[in-house]
Amino acid sequence: MKQKSIKGSRNVATILTYVFLILGSAIMIFPFLWMILTSLKSLAESTQIPPTIFPAVPYFSNFADALTSLPFANLYVNTILMVLARVICAIVFSSMAGYAFAKLNFKGKNLLFTLILVQMMMPSQIFVIPQYEMLASVSMTESIFALVFPGLVSAFGTFFLRQAYLGIPNEIGEAAYLDGCNQWQAFTKVMLPLTGTSVAALTIFTAVFAYADLMWPLVVNTDINLMTLSSGLATLKGQFMTNYPVLMAGSLFAMVPMLILYLIFQRQFIEGIALTGGK
Amino acid sequence: MVAPTIIGLLVLNYYPLIQTIILSFSKTKTFGAMEFNGLNNYIDMFQSPEFWKATWNTILFCILTVPVGIILALLVAILLNAKVKFKGGFRAIYFLPMVCAPAAIAMVWRWMFNGEYGIINAILGVKINWLTNPQTAIIACAIVAIWSSIGYDAVLLLSGLQGISKSYYEAARIDGAGRIKQFFSITLPMISPTLFVTLIMRMMASLKVYDLIYMMVDQSNPVLPDVQSLMYLFYREAFVAGNKGYASAIVVWTILLIGIVTVVQFIGQKKWVNYDV
Amino acid sequence: MKHIKRAALLLATVAMLFSMTACSNNPASGSDGKLTMQIWDNSQREAMQALADAYHEINPDVTIEVQVTSWDEYWTKLEAAAGSKNLPDIFWMHTNYILLYADSGMLADVTDLYDDDTYSHYSDVSIANTQGSDGRMYAVPKDKDTVCLVYNKEMFDQAGVSYPDENWTWDDLVDASQKIYDATGKYGYMAYCDEQLGYWNFVYQNGGYILNDDKTAAGFDQPATIDAMKFYIGLQDNEWCPDQTYFAETAPGNAFFSGQGAMFFEGTWNLLYEMKNYPEMQGKWDVAVLPKCPNPVSGDGRATISNGLGYATASYNQDNETVMDFLKWLGTEEAQQIHSSYGAAISGYEGTEQAWVDAFDQFDYRLNVEACIDMFDYSVQSVNDATRPNWKSKVNDEILKIYGGQLSVDEGLANCNTIINEAIAEG
Repeated sequence: MKQKSIKGSRNVATILTYVFLILGSAIMIFPFLWMILTSLKSLAESTQIPPTIFPAVPYFSNFADALTSLPFANLYVNTILMVLARVICAIVFSSMAGYAFAKLNFKGKNLLFTLILVQMMMPSQIFVIPQYEMLASVSMTESIFALVFPGLVSAFGTFFLRQAYLGIPNEIGEAAYLDGCNQWQAFTKVMLPLTGTSVAALTIFTAVFAYADLMWPLVVNTDINLMTLSSGLATLKGQFMTNYPVLMAGSLFAMVPMLILYLIFQRQFIEGIALTGGK
Repeated sequence: MVAPTIIGLLVLNYYPLIQTIILSFSKTKTFGAMEFNGLNNYIDMFQSPEFWKATWNTILFCILTVPVGIILALLVAILLNAKVKFKGGFRAIYFLPMVCAPAAIAMVWRWMFNGEYGIINAILGVKINWLTNPQTAIIACAIVAIWSSIGYDAVLLLSGLQGISKSYYEAARIDGAGRIKQFFSITLPMISPTLFVTLIMRMMASLKVYDLIYMMVDQSNPVLPDVQSLMYLFYREAFVAGNKGYASAIVVWTILLIGIVTVVQFIGQKKWVNYDV
Repeated sequence: MKHIKRAALLLATVAMLFSMTACSNNPASGSDGKLTMQIWDNSQREAMQALADAYHEINPDVTIEVQVTSWDEYWTKLEAAAGSKNLPDIFWMHTNYILLYADSGMLADVTDLYDDDTYSHYSDVSIANTQGSDGRMYAVPKDKDTVCLVYNKEMFDQAGVSYPDENWTWDDLVDASQKIYDATGKYGYMAYCDEQLGYWNFVYQNGGYILNDDKTAAGFDQPATIDAMKFYIGLQDNEWCPDQTYFAETAPGNAFFSGQGAMFFEGTWNLLYEMKNYPEMQGKWDVAVLPKCPNPVSGDGRATISNGLGYATASYNQDNETVMDFLKWLGTEEAQQIHSSYGAAISGYEGTEQAWVDAFDQFDYRLNVEACIDMFDYSVQSVNDATRPNWKSKVNDEILKIYGGQLSVDEGLANCNTIINEAIAEG
């Protein structure tokens, strides 16, 4: 009897899970569907009031227009380079700093950690102009490096990975010492691999942030061939009028690399544990 | 090992911060020309009803978005970590808002909230001018904020959940603990370090909100004063009006405000964040 | 210590790697025959490219690259670039910002750019829109515009109202709106909160002003200004005009081209775009001059706000011959003729307006765009002074409070007056 009721409540729970996930998915996917639908409308229809949901006649020409109005090949390459560089910097430097803040004792640790936290409190708007001036003073605007510049280090990444290292028992590190590892080896060989899933999450997080940033690339680079996808698309906005269908078609092209990246890394989530083995 | 990060932050972020602090004590003329004027910007700021309104709006926005957003993100993360079919598909879908074009997000939500033909009124069977009513505009903005943050937060929390070994749950099951008990005795303590960083990050982000309000509420919308956040006020003062000094004072105030809330969080964490595994 | 070194090495390597891909930019501008021209409006890219190509034809040694940024980012970028002397060679200047840039010495003085009488071919309004507070010119006039009345012919036909013409007054506007609403159930004239496309026109038609002639005082306390504001804001009390909450969600242009309303004020810069992108509406709408004030406090009741952009360069390019020569050419009749012919904006050079008008011949239905040109006879310079950035959004807030019912018109306008006068006093 009891066995049965537990099973019954399991089934209810499972159904609730699916209901929640499916309802949530509907809300989450809606703007994406809207992008697709808008990309198939004529400009007149896209601004119609009240709006239509489905395009009266699908306009596939918007996709062709988007492709001809921006140098997509360059934008893809620039975006990938920028994202890659920012992700590598975030992971390497944040892992080191995060590990140190979590597991090592050194002078001024609290003060330095406060610096990390206070950085997270600062609104990014105050960085744009000073950072531009720094790059301009060494004639480094108009380059791929300029795109990467603000993301060379990551305070959030440091804090996030510090938390991940705090979650790893000290005994694991101590065991590595006993095996004859030095501090650096204990970090790279033993501790770092244990944070695999956190690093994957940070990768996605950093990548999406870098990808979505449109202000900085527009300010630091003017040549359209040195833009990223998001900022390149922003130039399609007119001062008064914007051709939304073409913008949406272009945005759909722009989403492709991020979706691929996500699908690769969410797999990493599942396999993360298998790789780290330890637990 | 912390050197690269710290050096990077000092150059990239602390140098601009110091400039901002100096500016906040100055009367700025255009393009860098400025003269020291003591606390005047702060005095002006504290005397401005607009400023206090923006401070309150910002705090309200934080209260409306952070708890609900974090709870929903945790729920999503747990469900996406459970044994469900099409897990990959679901995960991809919940990720979509992060990479959608901002213009699409603005269009969709403004359409959904529209008082005349919006889908939300149609479903609820009411007639509320969500985006043009002073009482509801900030709620509408909060809903969009929660919607766009769930994906980010769930990704972070999911990584924390993945770190929990299955053996804990197996042991609990043998002890006869139900799912709810498992959640409170295993999941929550084990994920608390990740939950804490997510909470801090989300809270800071919500107190710095700007883009989202700019996107949802036009300059021609009479409710603007009722949703204007501190950073929105900063944007208007710094980039539209060119009052860098006054705008810098707003930034300093915002950082202090976030700092206070963060300190409270760090004190509070001792009660619930579990580091000794 | 070793690790720090290793990390520093890594940082340096990453930096090096990327700096190798960085092109060495901006030796002296134009010394290699390459100039950059920065603009903010994608819809004018074609016209700018045509200018660049035409100049290249005459001066094969010089190539001009046109670069587009979106409006908001344009000004952040320009500000950052101005601070580090890294400005694009040629860039557009807007009246919202020209005084800020000109008065702080960022822009090259182009008053003596021409040996001949080129500038005498520009109207006083055009010249004024490119002047600094000191009365010198800091940009070569690019274009000029007017505000016109756009109307839906079908709705007028259905209501049996004759189309707007140059004799129309505010009363006719109200009258027609009521009749159209009664006959079709659609909105009449859509009067929304906007300065250039809204109340400024009414204020100046009534003989009022926002700023006095020598820009030392605000005019929101003038009876003519107050009356016009009351009339304009009061239009939303009519059943045939949507209220401001409607316009907060719906752009009037979108409402008009979706057949929701019969009339609205539009800038000449949007007309070509609207003809192109609303093909099904072609032939169903037209433009007319603005209705005049029937009983103005002073003047003849006619006015339309006219704004204009300019081409500018940095003050440190004052002696850069390559840059200055291109800038000079942009102000010639030849260049302005090319610019006008693309139909996006009306060139400033007098006599080139016809090229803009002719651009509308490409459509089966020819808009009466001559009406827009006719209004230059009585156009008023877009309101501007050095302190406008300080008061612009604050005044807007007050007026929104009037629309929102939080303030009476008198209270709100009194606040506007104080805000502007205080801004002027502070300098």
